[in-house]
Amino acid sequence: MKTMKKQLIGGALGLTLALSFAAPSLALRVDDHEEDAYLAIVGGDIFAGTGEVLRGATLLSKNGKIEEIGYDLLLPDDCETIDAHGMRVYPGLVALSATTRLTQGTFAAGVEIHDFVPHEEHAEICGDCGKSFEEVVPPALDPGEFSTEHLAVDAFRTDFDDSFDPFSGYMVMALGNGITTVQQSSAAVKLKRGDISGVSLSEKTLTSQSWSGSNPAGKADLREKFRLATEYLADYRRWEEAVKSDKELKEPSKKGIDGRILDILQGRTMARFSANDRDDLLGIARLAQQFKFRPVIQGCVEGWTVAEELGRAGAYAIVTPRTRRDRPETTTYAAGSSIENAAILTRAGVQVAVVPANTSIDMGGISGRDLLSLPLEAGFAIRGGMDERSALESITVIPARLLGIDHRVGTLELGKDCDALITDGDLLHYQTFVQYTVVEGKLVYDKQEEVFYSHIRPRPEAVVDPGEEVSDEVEPVEAEETVEEVVEEESDEE
Amino acid sequence: MKMRNLLVGLACVLGTQAPLLAAPASPTPDLFALRVGRAETVSQGTIEHAVILIENGKIVTIGQDLEIERGIRVIDRPDWVVTPGFVNCYSRAGMSSSGGSGTQPSVQASTELYPRQPIYGELLAAGVTTLGLYPPGNQIPGQAVVVSTAGDSLESMVVREGAYLKVLMQSNSKSKKTLRDGFGKADKHLEAVTEAREKHEKAKDKYDDELKKWKKYDDEEKAKKKEPVDPGDFLEPEPDDVAGAFLDLREGELNAMFSIRKAGDYLHLIDALDEEQLSWSLRVPLRNDIDLYEVAEKLGADERRVVVEPRLTLMPWTARERNIPAELDRAGARVVFIPNGDDLVNQEKWRHHVGHLVKRGMDPQAALAAMTHEPAVLLGVDETLGSLDVGKEATMLFFDGDPFQASTSLKAVMHAGDFVEEASAQ
Repeated sequence: MKTMKKQLIGGALGLTLALSFAAPSLALRVDDHEEDAYLAIVGGDIFAGTGEVLRGATLLSKNGKIEEIGYDLLLPDDCETIDAHGMRVYPGLVALSATTRLTQGTFAAGVEIHDFVPHEEHAEICGDCGKSFEEVVPPALDPGEFSTEHLAVDAFRTDFDDSFDPFSGYMVMALGNGITTVQQSSAAVKLKRGDISGVSLSEKTLTSQSWSGSNPAGKADLREKFRLATEYLADYRRWEEAVKSDKELKEPSKKGIDGRILDILQGRTMARFSANDRDDLLGIARLAQQFKFRPVIQGCVEGWTVAEELGRAGAYAIVTPRTRRDRPETTTYAAGSSIENAAILTRAGVQVAVVPANTSIDMGGISGRDLLSLPLEAGFAIRGGMDERSALESITVIPARLLGIDHRVGTLELGKDCDALITDGDLLHYQTFVQYTVVEGKLVYDKQEEVFYSHIRPRPEAVVDPGEEVSDEVEPVEAEETVEEVVEEESDEE
Repeated sequence: MKMRNLLVGLACVLGTQAPLLAAPASPTPDLFALRVGRAETVSQGTIEHAVILIENGKIVTIGQDLEIERGIRVIDRPDWVVTPGFVNCYSRAGMSSSGGSGTQPSVQASTELYPRQPIYGELLAAGVTTLGLYPPGNQIPGQAVVVSTAGDSLESMVVREGAYLKVLMQSNSKSKKTLRDGFGKADKHLEAVTEAREKHEKAKDKYDDELKKWKKYDDEEKAKKKEPVDPGDFLEPEPDDVAGAFLDLREGELNAMFSIRKAGDYLHLIDALDEEQLSWSLRVPLRNDIDLYEVAEKLGADERRVVVEPRLTLMPWTARERNIPAELDRAGARVVFIPNGDDLVNQEKWRHHVGHLVKRGMDPQAALAAMTHEPAVLLGVDETLGSLDVGKEATMLFFDGDPFQASTSLKAVMHAGDFVEEASAQ
């Protein structure tokens, strides 16, 4: 609702749709006569992320939102275009639990090279944004609703709005590997380059809960908290009905009720568990079914052994397909990791998100396992039998759902943010490079223009029109006679 | 004005000898003319075969091959190149470097100033005739003071107080909040003033009414009742330190210098300033892999004054050199140079470091302006300092060639018409 209001205000001021998401102070400063900004990605095979593939289609963005996808579109005169013939177009990737270096800090993270200004140390990153969570999150909808759109709020400021580094080199690297949205601590942040307005998309959509076989008391505690909160909600609903006839009735007391559990049950946040063991996963699945919420399970290494149960619980799983874990020799049942984990979970109805083993951008150490290998990680899930569509979803729309921003990012659909990648092949293939990255209708990465990958396999030539005759001869240049003469002389000699 | 007696030429420039405080060996007359090979005026370009007429420490006339009236003493130096004295607008020379954290915008750096320290004489000998000394600390530590390195007492050193308000600005909620809070406090103060004025007017009205009634009373009634008290004239409540400084910023009575660390900070600064109109400059330490070029165009469009060291930096992730000061200059920003460090060696090598950037493509006129006129404007002393113009103070440097050439040496320093170096004086 807040979003709508803001849009109306924006409209009244003659501002563009995209700007209505910007911080109010910035939006107001923009010239009222700002013209619409168009960008078209022309001729690529569009993999919308919804399962649809449009071969050789065009995607048109207007003011950062997807305006049209289709064939033979009439492009506006001042439309910027990216030629994607022979290339593929995908939605921008959403990276869960990325480290903060991506959007904050300097190039030389934490290293003070220049010491001239005295006493200017890096202040701690997060101060207070001034608003409580309750203030910025709208009332809950029915828990269990498939989309988590209601978790996101556009019209608020988080610390990330005040600390985002729009020129971070690490961010450019992430963009170069297709990542356009990241989770940083508790917030979802859009990787806008050169722009600090409206970078926070949502905040605190996941709350961590613990469920572990090694802590039976903790399990009992959590179950009790859920029981109390459920009872409270039932009491509250009864009271809501009863109070209509009897105004004197007292509202049930919230005393002893865990607010975070209440948030989970009312759909304001989702419960995230870190669990890998079969027994823990089963326990979480049953807890979720008993108290009717969708659990988010990080790790979920042995999930494939209890996939049906997790599917019935409507669970989300955040998995790393390359994780390896041995089956304990003392067990008789299936255990340990499986390359098929993501595939089996998906088939059982679990919504699987994929993260790499290391979610920082790591210039040293084991390269190829850091955040930049996100599409490769999803590729490993395919190797384990996951279908390609689910593998793409595992790094796009499913993490977007976990962050409550799937109404804005995660797929290429009309009205959503125009965050698109143009690749020279299958995104999930190890050989593929992202050639261009577009965030909110702005070209923010061009492989040939950046230092990182421009030297590796230069961009393929545009597809030659089959009707055009291709000749090996050097065409004479009309304007420069000398060149022509030289060419002729040379050919004469031959 | 007293002068410093400096020991012979280069030995002194190299800082091997501390200057002595003494009367000038050979004072210049009240009115005299200088005839030099070339004058780099900064404001009106280069004047070859320049003649400068100086009276009572001020430039009266400057031009090419001017005729000099008979009887006026002429100092003839056909090999010399004259430039304005160097202005280092961002320094802590002669001051301790400890500072706290907090918002104390009314603190003046001049309270820390101790004259007669050898460093000031040494700086003068190195050609740094004017310093902008800032208070130390995080957030908003206070206001800078402009001093003349030629002075030997507080009165003769301090040129201008409150030259700029130093503000540390970073990309975080705290920095932005400090700024927003400051303007918020200013707003609150204005509200409080309005309220107080209304209250006072009401009190005044009430008093007028009561006074009328009082006058109608007879003596008996007057004895029973109290005579109304005149609330007097309206006294505007004084703003506190923070509100006062931010009001001054808004009204243009105080300039701000925002220290930022990277290009992103600049966008956050613009965001935090919102629609506030104030005059401000930017200080950016040129770290090796600084990304300031990302906002060069924006800085250029605003003709923003940017205080940087004369340094080549590296393009991030590469070993390719970038000449960011030159880029800023080409984009239209006003580059202001400060030495690479606050120590004497760096201040002495200042022009060599700048010369290095000139060699790498920076416009030499802009480079010289960045050491003279631009910092003088930043400090608000460009009325008298920073360029060689009619009416300006005759504070200038004499070189035996292009000041940006490594082989060139500083032959003499003049402060307000007096040579402060004995050997070259006459």
